[in-house]
Amino acid sequence: MNDSSLRPLARDYLKRLNKAAANLPRARRNELLGEIELHLSEALPVGASEAEAMTVLERLGEPAEIVAEAGAGQAPAARAGLNEWLAIPFLLIGGFIFVVGWFVGVVLLWTSRIWTVRDKLIGTLVVPGGLATAAFLVMFGGTSSGGEAICTSVSTPVGPHSPKVGNSVSHCTAAGSGGGINYLALVLLALLVVLPVLTAIYLGRRATRAEIAA
Amino acid sequence: MIEYCVLALLRDGERYGFELVRTLSEVPGMVTSEGTLYPLLSRLRRAGVVETSWRESPSGPPRRYYQLTSSGRAVLEAFSGEWASFRDAVDHFLKEKPA
Repeated sequence: MNDSSLRPLARDYLKRLNKAAANLPRARRNELLGEIELHLSEALPVGASEAEAMTVLERLGEPAEIVAEAGAGQAPAARAGLNEWLAIPFLLIGGFIFVVGWFVGVVLLWTSRIWTVRDKLIGTLVVPGGLATAAFLVMFGGTSSGGEAICTSVSTPVGPHSPKVGNSVSHCTAAGSGGGINYLALVLLALLVVLPVLTAIYLGRRATRAEIAA
Repeated sequence: MIEYCVLALLRDGERYGFELVRTLSEVPGMVTSEGTLYPLLSRLRRAGVVETSWRESPSGPPRRYYQLTSSGRAVLEAFSGEWASFRDAVDHFLKEKPA
């Protein structure tokens, strides 16, 4: 339908409604938008004033309210299912399954419809590999002395500041003796353990929130 | 409840969406926001108690007319009977003087 005759306010309202209705099944959304658009063109004759448009929109109500009514009585479009509840443990500890488990988690995360892009980025980047990353760092160092284990994790962030390999090695020797860098490595390790757990909790809460809102 | 008011409004003939919505919202205390009536109309249509048809309007875009189906008429009749006895029962207690 040609809505060029509609007031800018009404057009803006339809845009907001379209956005709010994004989770409705397509047919339901199209029907709702069509009806509201017809309503607006009936209620707002050509040349209607801005005040008239505001009254009409106020009587219509908030887009979110209308969409909530449209979603009532149907199975919610976005509901946390088996995929979501598998994605979280796979992201957290899937890395222990030959690393590929974590990638399974990432695929499940990104194919889900209940998390936003922001949630998915957090789930992927904090921390890649999940808890397995911390475990591998400990194991990697475990083959030799404990001092070197700390050295390997520390030399990574130090690396960019000292591009020369020699520098990095000298830091390693310092790591063995200097308690300060030891401490830093422990904090880093703790973060690598705590952050994936926090991310898992966050994703779980976001999933249940989507369930309640739907 | 509003569902049955819509069915009752359609008892005497078809009406188009905007007309139905405005009629309902003009009764005080009936409807909080007009927009929520459209999803309700959609539900009634999917439940098969009303059906729609498009008709040209003398002015502006085509209108979508709603009319009762036979099952809608049956639902309305059943509700009218139940409502009358429910209303009488409530009235009975509301009007009774406490002993």
